Amino acid sequence: MIAGSSIISKAVDGLKPLKIPLLATLAAFGIGLVLIVAAGAPLKDALGALQDGMYGTPYALGASLNAAALLALVGGGFVVAARCGLTNVGGEGQINVGALAATAIGLHGAAHLPTPLPVVVPLIAAIIAGAVWGAIAGALKAWRGTNEVISTLLMNFVAIGLVSVAVHEQSLLRQPATSAQTLPNSPPLPEVTHLALLPLGSGSPGTIGIVIAALVLVAVAVLVRRSAFGLKLSSVALGKQAAARAGISPGSMEIAALALAGGAAGLAGGILMLSTPFILRDGFSSGYGFQGLVVGLLARGSAAGVVLAALLFGFLDTGGISLEVGVGVPSTVILIVEAVIVITIAGSAGLKFGRSKVRRATS
Amino acid sequence: MNLLHDIHMEDVTRAPLQLAVAPTPFSLELRSVTKRYGSVTALEDVSLEVRAGSVHCVLGENGAGKSTLCGIVFGTQRPDAGEVKVDGKRLDARRPADALARGIAMVHQHFSLVGTLTVAENLALGGLRGRRGVREAKQRLRELGDRYDLHVNPDAVVEELSVGERQRVEILKALSSDPRLLVLDEPTAVLPPAEVAALLQLCRRIADDGRAVVLVTHKLAEARAVAERATVLRGGRSIATVDLAAVDDDELVRLMVGRDVGATGGAVAAALGLTAGSGARLLESALPTFGASAINVSRLSLEVQGGAPILDEISLDVRAGEVVGLAGVEGNGQSELARILAGAQHPTRGEQRLAGKDVAALPPRERARLGLAVIPEDRHLEACIDQLSIAENLVLGDLPHYTRFGLLRRGAIAARAKELMSTWDVRAPGPLVAMKTLSGGNQQRVVLARELSRTPLVAVLAAQPTRGLDVGAVVSVLTRLRAAAAAGAGVLIISSELPELLATCHRIAVIHRGRIVGQVLPREPGALERIGTLMSVGAVAS
Repeated sequence: MIAGSSIISKAVDGLKPLKIPLLATLAAFGIGLVLIVAAGAPLKDALGALQDGMYGTPYALGASLNAAALLALVGGGFVVAARCGLTNVGGEGQINVGALAATAIGLHGAAHLPTPLPVVVPLIAAIIAGAVWGAIAGALKAWRGTNEVISTLLMNFVAIGLVSVAVHEQSLLRQPATSAQTLPNSPPLPEVTHLALLPLGSGSPGTIGIVIAALVLVAVAVLVRRSAFGLKLSSVALGKQAAARAGISPGSMEIAALALAGGAAGLAGGILMLSTPFILRDGFSSGYGFQGLVVGLLARGSAAGVVLAALLFGFLDTGGISLEVGVGVPSTVILIVEAVIVITIAGSAGLKFGRSKVRRATS
Repeated sequence: MNLLHDIHMEDVTRAPLQLAVAPTPFSLELRSVTKRYGSVTALEDVSLEVRAGSVHCVLGENGAGKSTLCGIVFGTQRPDAGEVKVDGKRLDARRPADALARGIAMVHQHFSLVGTLTVAENLALGGLRGRRGVREAKQRLRELGDRYDLHVNPDAVVEELSVGERQRVEILKALSSDPRLLVLDEPTAVLPPAEVAALLQLCRRIADDGRAVVLVTHKLAEARAVAERATVLRGGRSIATVDLAAVDDDELVRLMVGRDVGATGGAVAAALGLTAGSGARLLESALPTFGASAINVSRLSLEVQGGAPILDEISLDVRAGEVVGLAGVEGNGQSELARILAGAQHPTRGEQRLAGKDVAALPPRERARLGLAVIPEDRHLEACIDQLSIAENLVLGDLPHYTRFGLLRRGAIAARAKELMSTWDVRAPGPLVAMKTLSGGNQQRVVLARELSRTPLVAVLAAQPTRGLDVGAVVSVLTRLRAAAAAGAGVLIISSELPELLATCHRIAVIHRGRIVGQVLPREPGALERIGTLMSVGAVAS
C-alpha cells in the first residue's frame, strides 16, 4: 500500500474479506463473456438480453427476487449449520419434504381455516418437515457419528423419491386422472393458500416470500453474531471437548443446528409451493437446494454474504433464461459462470487454509 | 534424580573458550539469526557455535525461541536474517531433506513415528525400497545397537512400545542416516527420571563418537549432567554462552529468567528441574490440620477389554486445605483419572465423592456447580477454545448469567472478563482478543481465573497444570493453587514434574500402571529418590 493514502488503505483493508469473492466473480464474468462471444451472439445484444432478464421488467425483477429469496433461505440455514461445524448438503431434500408437507396440508384442511391461516399453516408444516429431515441427520451425527455430509446428501434422494411417489399415487397427492394424458402432478393449491404478491409493478410474480426470507436472514444474523445460542454453536464447532466441559451438549447443538438448517430449507420449499404454479411435481425445485448450498458456501458464514450471493445467483438464473430465449446463447453459460465462481472461491479458501496449516505445523 | 548426579564430567575434554581462530570449522554455527512471525520476533540476533565431539545445550524457558531455532536448523523455518553454517559451509535448508543431506538429524519433541508399523519398517520409511529396505534397516539397527548399547526389538510394533522405547527408536532413526550433528528438542520431557539419566549418557556417547550433539532443554540439571557449554536463550535472544563448569545454578537461573529470583526461589528452582532446598518451599513449616474430605475416590477402576486395567482400585482422599500431589510417569493412568474426576469419562466401577456427596453419575457441569474446579491436562482441547475470545472462554460455562432474551449481554461479559483479567494478571490487549494469541502462561491464567473464581470452591483438580509454561507462569500457577488450598479447598495436582510437586504439596501419592503404589511426605529425607523409584518400578525395596 502506498504511504500517505491511509484512508484509502483503510477502506481497502475493510474490503479484504470480500476481495476473493469479488475477484472470483469478475474472473467468472470474463469467462462468461468469452463463452457468449464463442456462441456467436453479438456481445451487446447478449448483455442487453441478460440485463432485461435480470431486472429489465417488473416480471424479471420479481422472478429474480423470488429465486434469491429461496436461495437465501437455504443458504442462511447452511450458515447456521456451518456455525456448528456441520455441512448441510441436504437443502434439496429439505425443500422437497417442506414442499410435500405444505402441499398435503394446503390441499387437505388448511383451505378451510380463517385467514391468514391457510397460508401460515402450510408454511409452518413445511418448516417442521424440513426441520425433522435435518434433525434426523443431526441425530445420526450426534449419536452414531455418521458424517452429516453423507447423510444429508443421501436423504435428498429419499425426499425426492417421496415427492415422486406422492405425485404418482392418486391415493396420495396426484390429481384425479381424467384421461391418459393427466400428468403426474398434484392438483393446484386452492387460491386462499397462495402467497400475497408484492407491489413490484404489474405482472411481477414477487411474493411476500421475499419479505419472509429477509426476516429470516435478519434472525440468522442475530443468532450467529449476538445470541448465546450462536456462541454455543461456535464453541461446539471449535472445541467440542471444552464445550462439553462447560456444560454445553455437543450432540444437542448438532441436532439443533441441522434442524434449523432443515427448517429454513423446508420453509423455502413451502414458499416455492405457495407460489406459481402452485403444483407439486417431479423436479419442481429446479435445484434450489444445491444452489442454496453454494450460496451458503460463498457467504463464508455471514448473513449479509448470504444475501449478496443469493441476489447474485437469483439474478443470474433469471437472466440466463432470457439470454437463451432472446439471443440463443445457451443458459448453461450462466451455470458455467456460477461454477467458476464457486471453484475459484473454494480453491482460494483451500489455499489459504493450506498455508496456515503449514505454518502451524512448523512453528 | 540421584542418577543424574552420577554422570559427572571428569571424562569430558572441554573445548577452550574460543577467541583464537578455531583449527577446524564448527559443526554448527549460527550467525545473527533473526526470525519474525508478523509483528512477533521469535529469534533476534542469535549466534551459536557447536563443535564436533561435544554436547552443547540450548537452555531457555518455554517461549524463549528454542523450537524456532530447531526449526531453522532443520529447514522447516527460514531465517529472516543471519546465516547458518554447517562444517564451515553455509546451510540454506528449505526443507528437512536439505538438512538431512548435510548430515543434520533431529529428534523432535513429539515423535514422528508411524505407530502401526514395526521399528524396522519405521526406519525404512522414506527409502522406498520395500522389503530390502526393511532388511537393511534391521542390519543398521543391530550395528547402531551394538555401537551405542541401544537395543530395541526391530520387529516390535511401535505403538506397543513404552514412551522411553519409542524415543530410543526415534534416536536410532536419527542416527541411521549417520549424521554429523544431532539435535534433540526437549527430549526428556516425556521420560521418567531413570530414563532421563540413560538418555543423557547416550548423548554423551554419541558426542564421544565424534558427532556434535545439541540438546535443547529448560532443565538446568540435565544441562549440567551432560554438556560442556550452554547457550542461554531468553525472549528470542542469545543472552550468553557459558562454560557450565564456570557458572553456578543461581547465575544460570538469573540468565534464563532474567531477574534475581530470591523471593520465589523454591518454585523457580522447581520449575527448572532443580530440587528446592527444604527452606525454599512454598509450604509453611508446620503441617496444618486439614478439614473434611473434599475429593474422595474409593476403589476406582477403569478396565478395557483384553488389556491390563488402566486404573486399578484407586483410592485417594484429599481434605479441605490440603494439597495432594499425584506423581507418575505419563501414561500410567493419571490422565484417565483426571478425566474421570472431572466427569468427562466413566470408570468401570468405584465411588467418587465431592465434599461427601456422591458425584459418580454427574456430568462436568454439575460437578462444577458443586464447587469442583478443573484445570484439564490438555489446555487446547479440554480447557479453552482457542479461536474464541478471552471473554467468551471465561463465561462459556455460565452463559445464562450473561444472557438476556437469548442475546449475549456483551457489556456485562466484557466487564466480568476485565475484572478477572486484572485479578488474575492475564496479560492481553483486551478481553476480546482470541485465546490463541496469548502465551501458554496467560492462557493458563485465564483457565485458572475461570475455574478458581467459582463460588463455592470446594475442590481443585489440576492435571499437569504447569506443562509448557515459562518459569514465571509456573510460579504463579503453583502459588494460586496453594492459595486455593489456604482458602479451604482440597487441591489435587497430577503432575510428572517432581520438583514442582515437592515444592507445592503436603503429601504426594505415586501412580504406577494404574495403581497407587505409595505415598510420600515431601519433608521426609530422600523423598525425591523414593518417588522416582516408585514412579519407575512401582515399589521401593525396603
